[in-house]
Amino acid sequence: MSIGRVVATERRPNTASEFHFWTALDAPVGIGTIVRVEGPPAGDGQAVSVYGVVVEGFSYTDLQTPLHDVIGADGDPANALRAPTDRTEIRLYTAHALRHIPDEPLQPVPMGIVHLATDADVAVALRMDGYLKEGQRTGIPIGVYRSGAMQSPVYLDADFLLGPEAAHLNISGVSGLATKTSAVEWLLSSIFSHFPEQKGSVAALCFNVKGPDLCFLDQPATKLDEADKALYEALGVPAEPFRDVEYFAPYTARGYSLATLRSNEALAHNVRPLTWGLGEVLQYAEVLLNKDDVDAKADALIDFIRERVVQQEFTDSILERAHKVLSFSDLEQWFRDVLRNMEQRNLESWRTHHVATIRKVRNRLTNISTRCRGLVTDDGTTHDLPWGAFRDRAVYVIDVAASEDDAQDLIFARVVSQLREQLERRTLGVDHVVVFVDELNKYAPSDGPDTYVRKMLLDIAERGRYLGLVLFAAQQFRSQVHRRVVGNCGTALFGRMDMDELATPGYATLAPATRTKLATLDKGQLMVRHPHFAQPVFVRFPRPAVMGGREGMERYPAEPEPTLEVSVTRTLRALDPSVTLEWVKQAIVAAPEDDVLRARNRTLQTRPEDVKAFFKAQFRQRVAAEPARSRPAPLPLAGQGGDDPYGF
Amino acid sequence: MRGALRALRAAGAAAATGEPALETRPVAAEPPRLQRAEPIGAGPFSARLVDGEPAVGIAAFLDGIQESRVLAHWPGGVPIVLGTVAATVRRREGRALVSWRPEATRVERALFVPKAAIGDAAWALLADGYPVRDTLDTAKAGDTGPWHPMDLTASALTAVQRRRELLETACAELWCAEGDGPLFVDGGIASAGAAAHSPLAIGVVKSHRTLYVDGDTLPLVLALAAGERTTAFTVASPRRAPVASWYLRLRASDGRDPLWGLVRVEVALDGATPERCDLVSRWLLAERAPVSLPDARWGAMAYGIRLTEEYLRAITR
Repeated sequence: MSIGRVVATERRPNTASEFHFWTALDAPVGIGTIVRVEGPPAGDGQAVSVYGVVVEGFSYTDLQTPLHDVIGADGDPANALRAPTDRTEIRLYTAHALRHIPDEPLQPVPMGIVHLATDADVAVALRMDGYLKEGQRTGIPIGVYRSGAMQSPVYLDADFLLGPEAAHLNISGVSGLATKTSAVEWLLSSIFSHFPEQKGSVAALCFNVKGPDLCFLDQPATKLDEADKALYEALGVPAEPFRDVEYFAPYTARGYSLATLRSNEALAHNVRPLTWGLGEVLQYAEVLLNKDDVDAKADALIDFIRERVVQQEFTDSILERAHKVLSFSDLEQWFRDVLRNMEQRNLESWRTHHVATIRKVRNRLTNISTRCRGLVTDDGTTHDLPWGAFRDRAVYVIDVAASEDDAQDLIFARVVSQLREQLERRTLGVDHVVVFVDELNKYAPSDGPDTYVRKMLLDIAERGRYLGLVLFAAQQFRSQVHRRVVGNCGTALFGRMDMDELATPGYATLAPATRTKLATLDKGQLMVRHPHFAQPVFVRFPRPAVMGGREGMERYPAEPEPTLEVSVTRTLRALDPSVTLEWVKQAIVAAPEDDVLRARNRTLQTRPEDVKAFFKAQFRQRVAAEPARSRPAPLPLAGQGGDDPYGF
Repeated sequence: MRGALRALRAAGAAAATGEPALETRPVAAEPPRLQRAEPIGAGPFSARLVDGEPAVGIAAFLDGIQESRVLAHWPGGVPIVLGTVAATVRRREGRALVSWRPEATRVERALFVPKAAIGDAAWALLADGYPVRDTLDTAKAGDTGPWHPMDLTASALTAVQRRRELLETACAELWCAEGDGPLFVDGGIASAGAAAHSPLAIGVVKSHRTLYVDGDTLPLVLALAAGERTTAFTVASPRRAPVASWYLRLRASDGRDPLWGLVRVEVALDGATPERCDLVSRWLLAERAPVSLPDARWGAMAYGIRLTEEYLRAITR
């Protein structure tokens, strides 16, 4: 459909990357519209086409100054409506070129007729024709481009979204209005449906850092309307929740229940604890220890402990006994033994480590289980992600929303490091993992000290694509995230943006009208930047087919923290449905709380055949009380001695 | 213009460089004059408020433009002028103006040359490559020159002007024969052929070198307030059809030149009753908005005419 004509003047010329065209007043053109220019044939007779996206629009008349309009209407705006002739008005648009055909020689856009882009035009303009060929499709639908009644699917290239050519995705937008989480949920569905077979398997791992948004991914949405369903159908994605979802969360500080909003019993079947012991955590001690804590000497001692003490039998001449340090409790015993014996022998240093350093390191390390209570256990019981057994198209959600910052950092550091190591060794179970992190400005800020987490994110951003480790990161303010992290994201999505954020230099390449549109985007709309797209384009995506956080909390309200007995009952009943509350009460009567929790955790970790027997066996033998027997009366002394004052 | 330049090269003329259009040069104007006119109907020549509110009634606008440039000088100082003339009728459709018919938009370009001054051979060479018009075809019989170059230039300008008027007349006659509704003609209609007798044509004259008043009626005309008109009178001359005419003040002069905002209206003599004069005046008063600024003639220029002129400039560039 032809809608306009290219124009150029000396003051406003066309270039190879920018052109101008005018349209009728009622032409269906606006910011983000994709158009096609048909120019005169090139010298060799080949038709010349230029595809562009509208970035700015102007409207003006032959008025030299608004005052003339006032004069003409005698100062009364109503009079202007009574004028028999409208002033000539022009609608002039500026578009940025998306693609030239032929692409060489690259010349200014020629004069020609402007047409609205059809479906086929959109595919050519966005270079999607290169990765949508039959037999070699690597397209992942991101949404639809709309122009009037026309909707054209827009695809991202999996090779540039999930590697190896490029990877990682960054999504920005104001909280609550920009639909960042919805966009990621939708995109994960799309990836799971369209991930090319030849690229192998893919799973997702999401960190739920706030609220219940990611807590109901396996529950169906109830608010999908016909328009959304039509979009799903048009894009070839089933409008269904994720089929294979597992939730992980540390315990609360008390340890009775998991620190997650997905605590309703109806949904407990796929919620598992996440707890680590010494062996899992020591490697990442520096995540929790700052530069003041870990100087070179302390660092050396920690290394020594990690390599020579933990998880092996350790003996030394000054120690009272051999130590096999498997847990923080064991480590505390070891430290006590070392320090006590150093004191007794009046030693200032042991194995080159000064006593002050040893005390400091003891304090810092044993404090970890206190600082990360609920996540880090003293007794060494662990519940972890299914390393080595990740499943294709599964979603693993780690709920850290209720955890302290220290615990969040530790979880993040260890999980991502483990993902990286296992992907390097190809032992994870899947070939690709998409890691979704919200609040990226907290984990990889552009300023502030260089933290372990930030260094790790930089490493993933710069090298992860070769391993199949893909970062999907969201934040409200992109300008506050480390430049190299966002810069290495091959694809960027923008929802509704904050005006102050749009005024930062990072958005200067966008036309003013595009920035204005970004500030007013509706929910469900995104601006997409992708390596194949010469210019960003606006798309619309459907509501996610999963239950939202707010609705999920209404339907499946979080349970209040249970009593110890109820907590143990629930945990054991998941392994053996015959476990009752009464049985548990009897089994744990008079047992210390710590022992009960330890027994529960061990039973859950081991998953024995005979749950009840195993659970009871975890408690120390108690000697049954016996009534005291009466003692025989003392016999009188035999004879009294004579004058011997001692009676002999 | 390229075609004209090729024809000149072929004829051996030397091209002029960067001369402005003749229309922008100061021209020796005819001296202004007062001419008494007979009022139509009984009663003295008077001023009166137009009866009724402004009302939209104009269905189309007609205007023409011209541009004359000296392209070259023939030996002897003979100017070779490229004249561009155009005329069109723009029809009102809703609140926009659109083209009426292809034949109602006419554009012509030609070389205006004094044939007698350059000779038949040169004339033939020019005519072989481009349309040529003789600017001395109305010269006095036996006038064989020499001619003052400024006279030749003035003749060329006059010839271009006459050509424009012919195009305007043709467009006006076409509308009056086949159009539908009143036609606003920029300028008088007395020399517009059949249009001068048509009830559809309304001529609006903005310039007042000739004022159709005498000593007694001049103050009355100059004192017209916005929305007032004079009694209608007859305007006649040997070479023009007689028409009914009156003065109408579109806008108050408010301290400006007393002729500012004043127009002279011409309609066919038949049917020029006071009621019709009021009706036509109401139509013209309605065309005061929007204003034709930044055109310097905005006080008396209807926006529809400004749009028509802009259209002609756009298609003749």
